[in-house]
Amino acid sequence: MRRPLQVILLVLIGLGLLHASLFTDLCLRYVKEGMRPLLIASGVLLLLLGAAEAWSYRRPGGGDERPEHGGHDDSDRGHDHDHSTAPRAAWLLFLPALSLLFYAPPALGAYTASREAPKAVTEQEHFDPLPATSPVPMTLTDFTSRVQQDSEQAIKGRRVRMTGFVTPDKQGDGWYLTRTIFLCCAADAQFVKVRIHGGPAVRTNTWVSVTGTWHPGGTLGTRSAPAALDADTVKKVARPVNAYEDALPLVPSR
Amino acid sequence: MQKTGDLVEEAEAAVAAPAAADDAPRGWPRFWPLLLLAAATLPGTAFFVIGRWGDEPAMQAWRTVCLAVTLQALPFLLLGTALSGAINAFVPARLFQRMLPRRTVLAVPVAGAAGVVLPGCECASVPVANSLIGRGVPPAAAFAFLLSAPAVNPVVLTATAIAFPGSPVMVPARLLASLATAAVMGWLWLLLGREEWLRPVARHTGHQPGHNRWTEFRRGFQHDFLHAGGFLVVGAMAAATFNVMVPRSVLDTFSSSLWLSVLFLAVLAIVLAVCSEADAFVAASLSGFSPLAQLAFMVVGPMVDLKLIALQAGTFGRNFAVRFSAATAVVAVLCSVLVGGVLL
Repeated sequence: MRRPLQVILLVLIGLGLLHASLFTDLCLRYVKEGMRPLLIASGVLLLLLGAAEAWSYRRPGGGDERPEHGGHDDSDRGHDHDHSTAPRAAWLLFLPALSLLFYAPPALGAYTASREAPKAVTEQEHFDPLPATSPVPMTLTDFTSRVQQDSEQAIKGRRVRMTGFVTPDKQGDGWYLTRTIFLCCAADAQFVKVRIHGGPAVRTNTWVSVTGTWHPGGTLGTRSAPAALDADTVKKVARPVNAYEDALPLVPSR
Repeated sequence: MQKTGDLVEEAEAAVAAPAAADDAPRGWPRFWPLLLLAAATLPGTAFFVIGRWGDEPAMQAWRTVCLAVTLQALPFLLLGTALSGAINAFVPARLFQRMLPRRTVLAVPVAGAAGVVLPGCECASVPVANSLIGRGVPPAAAFAFLLSAPAVNPVVLTATAIAFPGSPVMVPARLLASLATAAVMGWLWLLLGREEWLRPVARHTGHQPGHNRWTEFRRGFQHDFLHAGGFLVVGAMAAATFNVMVPRSVLDTFSSSLWLSVLFLAVLAIVLAVCSEADAFVAASLSGFSPLAQLAFMVVGPMVDLKLIALQAGTFGRNFAVRFSAATAVVAVLCSVLVGGVLL
């Protein structure tokens, strides 16, 4: 790969990283919020590297370093290897750079969620009393552990509101309310799901806010109880900013 | 999508046709209209096909995972290549000779333990190990460092402690098993390794008199980054392919038998190519498996996985990467079974 091309490549990756992390929220589809400063720093570093390379190439004599290199190359193993050409593998770096800039894939959705088993909820000993508001805003994880672990059965008869995207049930005609959780990045995404009973049919991957009560089954407060909801209202909402974690939505879901 | 594709084709054809009629030189082949037609329609068609194919849900998931692995690893790869460039340009070779014991047999465990100081994931350690070899560190010691650095640094151990709040013994178990694997692999290289498996590392010749150190640093850094980055993309593609093709719900069928589950999680660690700073959380989430199998997952993962094999093949050569990764996988499983059997 020739040096002007290397400059273009370095600048493109740098711009792609900055575009995804500094100017937009794109990077949140792929990695966690904590990676953002690192991505911004990497983008700046790559731009600097590209600028330095361009500057040294434009400088008189900078574009032609071969004679100099030939001088010391024969001193070691005779392997003709100089830094002005990058290996052919570097071409592949154009793919993520261009993809970030022009053809960014969407966040993981129903396709992946329907193929994965729901994430196991961690054991919880103590539950605080539920707030008195109705409906109670809840995360999907919170709802699941309330249903399956709270021996006080505080969730019984309470109206709750949860937000997530729609994943169709493979076997039946129903659907799951779903949230994605990243441990590190999208490669290890896990999904929490709550089965929704009743309510209208909604298109796959739509973000909705569902209000309803627990769908009875098994013994409440034990593992036999299903994480399921009898929905009375299902409202379309905008995709929240923090779509990649199981938290209360950071967008006013009116 | 169909619409835009057609529009693009028509527009290009319209532009191409009059131009062709005006200036068809005499020497042109007789089928030049065909060539022009192809030139006019092929880009549009290719664009349309790629667009259609790239928007399938499976393809989208593949692109997302591939990009995610690349993005996650890129800052650490930059750190590693910057460090390797700095070692190459600024650190004199005799410093390493003074720091490491003169006998290589002893240098191996010392280099392995020195992995504690490189806070990063496995992508950073490959270029660093390469430049160490270039600066006269024995390959066996450099490989011990390469294997242990991503697994035993404080960031990773802290993450492990957080991921397994119920079993604090997981942290020393991981530390010991990783160090043991690194040392055994270093000694194995001393016994069986051959120089000719390694690609010559001529470019890490260190500081040349008469050259500017900063320019050497920048050029080495840039070259290593572009080189390793290309192989990182290869590894990310392989990992994404497995990630999308094999859903994790398949795992549950393997969790019943102890031996099968250890082997299975070791293979999974290789295939999933999770970053070593996060693999503890992934291991903890595989709660259906025994602690021993989870330990094997965490010991094998930072030492052998698809993106690492691609990186090593790019840096040290394919001959080396295949042999070294296969041997490391076996040793890592044995070490984690031994250590885990005693501690867990």
